[in-house]
Amino acid sequence: MAKYGVSVLKFFILLFIFTISLFASEQSAEKRVYASILKALFPEKTIVKVWSDKSEKGALFSKLDGVRVVAQKKDADILMIFGPEDIENCDKMIFANGYLVFRRSKGKAIGGFYWQKGRANLTFIKKNLEKEGIRLPKSLEKYVEDVE
Amino acid sequence: MKQLNIIYSFFVVLLLFVLVYLYVRLGDFELQAKKNIESVIIKNTSYFIENVEKNIKQHVKSNLYKSLKSNPQLRKELETNMGMLITPSFKYIYVLYRDSAGKYRYLLDGSKEEKGLFDMKFDIDTQAWDSVYLSKEKKIVTQDDVSSIWITTLYPIVYDGEVQGVIALDFSTSLFQYISKVLSPLKDIFLYVFVATFSLLVVILYQMFLQLKTKRESITDPLTKAYNRVYLRDLVEKINLYNYDVAMLDLDHFKKVNDNFGHDMGDYVLVNFVKLLQKSIRSKDIIIRFGGEEFLLFLYKEKKKESQATEVMQRVLKTVSQYNFVYENSSLQITCSAGLVKEAFKYNSVQQVIKKADERLYSAKSRGRNRIVESDISACVDRLSLGAVKQALDEERLLCHFQPIFTLSTKKIAKYEALVRLRGEGEKLYYPNQFLDTIEGTNVYRDLTKNVLEIVFEKIAEHQIAMSMNLNLSDIIDNSIYEMLIKELEASKSLAQFLTIELLEYESLANDILLDRIVAIKSYGVKIALDDFGSGYSNFSIFENLPIDIIKIDGSLVKNIDNSKTSYIIVESIARLAKRLGLVVIAEFVHSKAVLDVLEELDVRCGQGFYLGKPDILMPTGQ
Repeated sequence: MAKYGVSVLKFFILLFIFTISLFASEQSAEKRVYASILKALFPEKTIVKVWSDKSEKGALFSKLDGVRVVAQKKDADILMIFGPEDIENCDKMIFANGYLVFRRSKGKAIGGFYWQKGRANLTFIKKNLEKEGIRLPKSLEKYVEDVE
Repeated sequence: MKQLNIIYSFFVVLLLFVLVYLYVRLGDFELQAKKNIESVIIKNTSYFIENVEKNIKQHVKSNLYKSLKSNPQLRKELETNMGMLITPSFKYIYVLYRDSAGKYRYLLDGSKEEKGLFDMKFDIDTQAWDSVYLSKEKKIVTQDDVSSIWITTLYPIVYDGEVQGVIALDFSTSLFQYISKVLSPLKDIFLYVFVATFSLLVVILYQMFLQLKTKRESITDPLTKAYNRVYLRDLVEKINLYNYDVAMLDLDHFKKVNDNFGHDMGDYVLVNFVKLLQKSIRSKDIIIRFGGEEFLLFLYKEKKKESQATEVMQRVLKTVSQYNFVYENSSLQITCSAGLVKEAFKYNSVQQVIKKADERLYSAKSRGRNRIVESDISACVDRLSLGAVKQALDEERLLCHFQPIFTLSTKKIAKYEALVRLRGEGEKLYYPNQFLDTIEGTNVYRDLTKNVLEIVFEKIAEHQIAMSMNLNLSDIIDNSIYEMLIKELEASKSLAQFLTIELLEYESLANDILLDRIVAIKSYGVKIALDDFGSGYSNFSIFENLPIDIIKIDGSLVKNIDNSKTSYIIVESIARLAKRLGLVVIAEFVHSKAVLDVLEELDVRCGQGFYLGKPDILMPTGQ
């Protein structure tokens, strides 16, 4: 009985530590990246209004300083797209999240953030940045790409 | 119990060492096992990557980027070949090149998931990749910052001495988990051993803690947290009196504190008194609550160093007298008195030392309190040390002077009183007040008493005349002296009837043991006299409790009997009382004819004094 108890306890402790550390490290990395992106795209704004098609991610954005999550696309400064959202007729600034979303929306999106092979990848699309008249700070210039 | 604790402690320490050793060994083993597995995997990896490089170089003879860019079909073919290496452990395999801006971009990607496109940027740890470009050597990178990857092997593709791409093989963490799984049973065994050992350790420690706690509680006074008499009992067994001076302390007028302020205040005073003591003494000194408001202090003394006991005690008295005890709006100042015994090693036992300290404490009380008494008599008296008395005994310089005691009606000598003397190294004589206090409670005192008894019996045998000698009542209580006395009486049975023992300091002692012993002594025919009766705390109940034969009226009453009405009445009363009780009366201090006349008028049976006969070394042979 004691042996069983110790094993179960050990399993749950390890699982808990592993999950928490994995989740915490990815989440904190994401938070840092998104905070940098929004600050770079809207340097003048004290409050950036964000709309997201993924409600769980809305919670992440709401934790960022100077960010307010809005329910309607029309109220947003930027749309954070995570899924197959129709963006063809949208006049709002779009940021793609996820590799497939980024590849699909590179004609409209100003940039994309995704995890590839376990590494965080960030890309800003040069022509869309110019279209929006955005000049990124020096620290993010290395992420600007001519994406066809 | 102490030995048991040492054994426990030994096992505890041993277990700790075993645990630490096991832990370190298993850690080493795990590390070594991982290293071995890593090296095997890396070796295999190198083999795979070399094959990939070989395959690429077979298809691309030069200028890797241009060749691949211009030939999508070749890329597809090469990626298919690379993809065949993908397993749950080999998660990703791809080839990157470094562009002119220093960014890394895909040339080929054999991965089945998250496939990168040709020329697409890939954000990786550029530092490690740059180093491969620079060194043109293979590199193993541990991916601490990449959650699903354990290690990445980087392998340069070199054309004409120039790195044109780097093959990367990512190992998934599943391999790492596999290694952990292999080691898991070992870890489990260690865990169970650890838990069992640790539990045992906890039980042992808890048991030791309980033992110590119980022991501590049993030897500690619950109110003051000072040691109690149980501790003293143990201490007596093991203490080395060469290392300690002993003081008995008592709070002055403490009863009044309880009476006037209540027992809560009394308790408060006791608790804080002990705290003050603790502040005033040194770490090696010991405080014991001896009784009510009496405390024993064992004051540490380093061998061959001057005792600091007096300074410590003075500090204690000063600290206590200056402290203001404040309790529930009441405040008071209190003093304490102390009896101090230095050179405690000269005494037979700790009990003797404590008794002496107690006597000196009462001496301090009687001298006005708030003081320390550390000797028995005034310093101006020329005293012999314990060693000097012992030497005098060894060198047979003990002698007795004999003072005659007359039957007043016949003017004949009824007996002699033996009075002890010591001859100094010259011809100087030392009297009892110069050495008895020093040797009291020691073996020397017993030896001296024995010698006196032998002299007395010798003189009795020689002259067939009655003799008396002095003993303290406490001497009868003392086992060693009593046993010696009985032994001497047994040896001189026929002479014992000529012996009278004059008891001193009898006012405070009367109990069953004493009564039994006096009866036993009297059974040899020895007579018992009360010396110095009528002074001090003479208690008439002594006649009820002890079988007395003779009363010796104290000299202070007798010497003024011819011109003090009070003395006259007291002596008359004592003489009448003695007559009614059937006791013989002896008047001491008969120093003149006038005194002798009055004693005869009062029908006092016997007399002793300078007028009748001085103590002398020679035995008188006639009247």
